[in-house]
Amino acid sequence: MSTVKKRSPILNVLIHAVLIFLAAFQLFPLVVLFINTLRTDVEIKHMPIGLPEHASFLNYAETWVKGSYAVAFRNSIFIGACVIVIVLVGAGLAAYGVARLKIPGRNFFIGYFMLGMSFPAFMYIVPLYYNFSEMGLVNTHASVIIIYAASYIPFSMLLIRTFLVGIPRELEEAGKIDGCSEFGVFLHVTMPLSLPILATVALIVFVWCWNEFLWANTFLTTDDIRTVSTRFYKFVGEWSRDLAKIYTAGMIALGPIIVLYLCLQKTFIEGLTQGGVKG
Amino acid sequence: MKKSFLKDKSELKRWAGLFFVLPAFIYHFIVVIVPSLKTLYLSFFDWNGIGNPTFVGLDNFVEMFTTDEVLPVALKNTTIWTLWFVTVPIVISIFVAVWVSGVKHSKLQMFYRTTYFLPYVLSAAIAGKIWSNFYNPYYGFTTIFKSMGLDGLADIMWLGDPKIALFSVAFVSNWSWWGFVMVLFISALQQIDPTLYEAASIDGAGRARLFWHVTVPGVSPTIVFIVAMSLMWSILSFDFVWVMTMGGPGQATELLSTWIYKNAFVNYRAGYANAICILQSVIVLAIFFVNQLVRKKVEEAV
Repeated sequence: MSTVKKRSPILNVLIHAVLIFLAAFQLFPLVVLFINTLRTDVEIKHMPIGLPEHASFLNYAETWVKGSYAVAFRNSIFIGACVIVIVLVGAGLAAYGVARLKIPGRNFFIGYFMLGMSFPAFMYIVPLYYNFSEMGLVNTHASVIIIYAASYIPFSMLLIRTFLVGIPRELEEAGKIDGCSEFGVFLHVTMPLSLPILATVALIVFVWCWNEFLWANTFLTTDDIRTVSTRFYKFVGEWSRDLAKIYTAGMIALGPIIVLYLCLQKTFIEGLTQGGVKG
Repeated sequence: MKKSFLKDKSELKRWAGLFFVLPAFIYHFIVVIVPSLKTLYLSFFDWNGIGNPTFVGLDNFVEMFTTDEVLPVALKNTTIWTLWFVTVPIVISIFVAVWVSGVKHSKLQMFYRTTYFLPYVLSAAIAGKIWSNFYNPYYGFTTIFKSMGLDGLADIMWLGDPKIALFSVAFVSNWSWWGFVMVLFISALQQIDPTLYEAASIDGAGRARLFWHVTVPGVSPTIVFIVAMSLMWSILSFDFVWVMTMGGPGQATELLSTWIYKNAFVNYRAGYANAICILQSVIVLAIFFVNQLVRKKVEEAV
């Protein structure tokens, strides 16, 4: 780029100003959210933006108990963990199959999962709801676990496949010469090599389970089995008069994901964008 | 027949490989594709979700375009929503991506990227509800505008005025979405051959010409991909609208998705909801297949 003419200094300053403004704009709602968790309802109603008069974390203790967030956290973590296991097994096996083996219909499967990745939820939510309701699965964790795992497998499988295509096969070949079966190679050579991408998939799947609203709000309607995001949605309805609690509930629900993201931003960004583009 | 097909060992091994792919395929097929086919089938029935469906032929589809007064509104709103998301975030992102890639200080560049992307990883349901509070006419940002003497802004009912409610929600959805698009553009920019820039600038091209003649063609496969993705994604949008306005006030922010949801789970007209699902999915899947074709063409051309 050295030969490219330099921008005029005024334009340069302007561009930096825009970038800083955009960063502030993206963070602004979250900053307001956080500060308001330290204030009282009266303060917030008086002026929605402002520093707390007496900063206190009291809202957190109260909201955590009144919103029974302990239960909601347990539900979301349990659902996320189950979905991660199913997705990693299903997508890991399938990715190995299409990336490493000359199976019949390989391109069909790749195409199928690409379609699966963009398949509209509204295409199957209605009959699935009434089927699950007949089977007694509505209002059980199993219902959303089954659905999440199925709908996240295509993305995960394509992401793992892209990773496998990019790593050399030598170790796997060596494993085969040593007499490992195809499945043995998969289990003892390929999967350990793929740990970084499997961790990425697990992380993304967990966050999706945590954030998901449409299915969770439709299939889980009793308080003791709600996930964090739908528990929050219900909480807002119940406590609409106490803004301090609403903001605190929002922070409790978003907090874990914000912390995860700040610690593992690279994994998030690369995982979420690569899977889509390279397919 | 099968025996001769599997006669030699390598052929057998080839078919055995299917055991790796089939669990995921069958599982996905049963949970996603089978009910989808049922949606198609039931779109020809009048059904409340519980009782026996009554076959009504094409009545649901006829109703969609004749007696249903909400569907045209939902279609119109979905179109406006979609037009917004294939233009605004893409235009913002492409410029910002160019500027962010130009930031020399790598930590600062990383900071911008991380910050812009952050809202995308957050739950739309939760973030949407928080924004609803900001928009609230009694104790939201109205109070701030009033104290600053900006009565014009203070009087706006962001979610209550049918004329602007849809844009207020789109604004929030855009907040969470554009950072993702921008990161896609940054990765596309990194793949442009730097010698192209040098060659063009030796020929005397200025920054604007470089942008139009090197950058834009260089990211064109990404633009195609993002336009297709934005189209599909915005036609299916649900979360932000549902938590912020539920399609209201009146029908001002009704989208195809919210109208389907209301028919299926509020009015218990599952058969009719399925017919709208078919309309929506046909549009989305058509975009998917057109995109696949275009992508192949673009890749061949590059």
